[in-house]
Amino acid sequence: MSKFWSETLYDAYGQSFSVDKVYFESKTEHQHLMIFHNAMFGRVMVLDGIVQTTEKDEFIYHEMLTHVPLFAHGKAKRVLIIGGGDGGILREVCKHKSVEHVTQVEIDQAVIDMAKAYLPGHSNGAFDDPRANIVIDDGIKFVTETNEKFDVIISDSTDPIGPGEVLFTSTFYDGCKRCLNEGGILATQNGVAFMQPDEVTTTAKRLAPVFKDHSFYGAAVPTYVGGIMTFAWGSDNSEYRNIDVATLQQRFEAANINTNYYNPEVHQASFALPQYIINALKDIES
Amino acid sequence: MKPFLSDAKIQQLADQHGSPLLVLDCEQLQEQYKSLQQALPGVDFFYAVKAFPDDSVINTLIQMGSGFDLASLGEIEQVRHHRVNPRKTIHTHPIKKDKDIRDALRFGCTTFVVDNIDELKKFRKYRHRVGLLLRVSFRGTTAKVDLSRKFGCAADEALHLIHRAQQMGIHVKGLSFHVGSQSATPDAHVDAIQHCIDIMSQSDVPLSTLDIGGGFPVNYDGNTVTIDEFCSPICDALKAVPSDVNIIAEPGRFLVAPAVMSISSVMGKANRSGTTWYYLDDGVYGSFSGRIYDHAEYPLRTLKTGVKIPSVLAGPTCDSIDVIAENIALPELEIGDLVIGEMMGAYTAATATDFNSLERATLIVLNEVQVEGSSHLIRINTNKEKKNSSTLTIH
Repeated sequence: MSKFWSETLYDAYGQSFSVDKVYFESKTEHQHLMIFHNAMFGRVMVLDGIVQTTEKDEFIYHEMLTHVPLFAHGKAKRVLIIGGGDGGILREVCKHKSVEHVTQVEIDQAVIDMAKAYLPGHSNGAFDDPRANIVIDDGIKFVTETNEKFDVIISDSTDPIGPGEVLFTSTFYDGCKRCLNEGGILATQNGVAFMQPDEVTTTAKRLAPVFKDHSFYGAAVPTYVGGIMTFAWGSDNSEYRNIDVATLQQRFEAANINTNYYNPEVHQASFALPQYIINALKDIES
Repeated sequence: MKPFLSDAKIQQLADQHGSPLLVLDCEQLQEQYKSLQQALPGVDFFYAVKAFPDDSVINTLIQMGSGFDLASLGEIEQVRHHRVNPRKTIHTHPIKKDKDIRDALRFGCTTFVVDNIDELKKFRKYRHRVGLLLRVSFRGTTAKVDLSRKFGCAADEALHLIHRAQQMGIHVKGLSFHVGSQSATPDAHVDAIQHCIDIMSQSDVPLSTLDIGGGFPVNYDGNTVTIDEFCSPICDALKAVPSDVNIIAEPGRFLVAPAVMSISSVMGKANRSGTTWYYLDDGVYGSFSGRIYDHAEYPLRTLKTGVKIPSVLAGPTCDSIDVIAENIALPELEIGDLVIGEMMGAYTAATATDFNSLERATLIVLNEVQVEGSSHLIRINTNKEKKNSSTLTIH
């Protein structure tokens, strides 16, 4: 019998993985990180008892958090990634040849080193891309202090309980706004709304005063259990949410990027939200 | 309870390691666990780590299949170090800071205890992640340490709090109580179980867990009922609990008390007003702290024979309260003679202090089985690296 690891995100419900081999385990400053092999999902990285990424389904998350804002923008040359130490977002951003510069701000060098060693497919060499500038710093500090400007900011954070907490605050969203070029887009990981509806309503409340247009889009990532994962969206240009499929198709073809989940139809459809999210958002307006 | 070390072995340990010592026998700990399992069949145990927060105790109890009752980040770190499955832990402190809740969630512990509306409100933002036990207070009149005054809601408030939780979308999954520590009779347990069954039957929300706490007595005085006798009426009362309810308990004292003995030595003697005073190298600021905090009277003996005369055993600090036993009949002792304390596992080292900057007793661990199956007979922990407080200097 193989040993099982059980996610402890919820008291009354959870997913379990058989653990075929533990590759890495570390406990640093109240943060517990483990990477193990599972027959169905390949290598699984868990942090503080919660699945962060797996080799098998990471592409859904990384493609959707990257290509949706980049193709919606259409002319992004400078991209900022907050967090994302596993390199998956950087890999997807670097597929865009039109991007001239990408800064990634990760708080913990150890996460990058560990991911390079044990999840090499996530970055797939992107950390060596000459356009990439890796900064080891606190994301909120960076966006508050930097003089650089970006066209798209992608926040690939951990959950709001733990080190990623500050990346869900108004201060962070304000900081992102100040280092976005005019008409820039912020896209962030925002949890599974069916399981934790508060994450959507809290973010909506905090984005509303910062961006003229804010919303969410979604994608189902199997190991983020509970339905669609939501990504928060903020921009002063509401047109970005309504780019027609033909335009997206042109951009997608011009970029000549191979994807496994993203395509222009999925892109446009991902902004259609289930009624339970729309209702939750209506509740905060009233 | 027969001592787990012969007099010759005790003398040998003292000769080899000096004194004061605390000696933990992991086999004795296993025996206690098994005897409680037999006395309370079908009940899952969560060892109250606070009673004797030692790595060898945790390691041994993991192998026995025990869960763990935690109340602080320090205790979380300790069980995390042993890779305890977070699903086998419960956080039982009724009063928590927000950070305590987050620390426990980050470890993976999702069961918490509440007993009032303000505490309940703290869980609003974590309501999708947690399952709560509502602690209800039932006064145990025979408990040595009464826990029903400081914690627990009144029984007639319980349904209201469950209802309020439901309104806030917070999952209360069961009830808990703690009648007190070292109960003389099981009456309070039985009474509390019956009240809890009533509350459960009236609740709209299915309550799937009943935590019967601790309080299982150990034999300090030679007159305490056996654990089988004590638990028999409890088992009878539990028969009325619906079969889909998980019954759990938080034993601390019962598991560790008989598994530890103390060895201290006479470092001075004096005759004061006709009574012989012996000054030991361990006292109420050290391993005998339970004399003060736990109201415990440990069985004490020496390795000497002879005519017993009224004596006083005092500890090594400069404080006059540091007296372990007044008017105890002992044979005449000489400097260097050993004094043995039995049943010294619960709330002894756990509440010891560093007063007078005296070193704490060295812990000797016997018969510990390692996870990989190897057994080492002795582990020595001098506690020297242990620092209890950090100092913040502000310039």
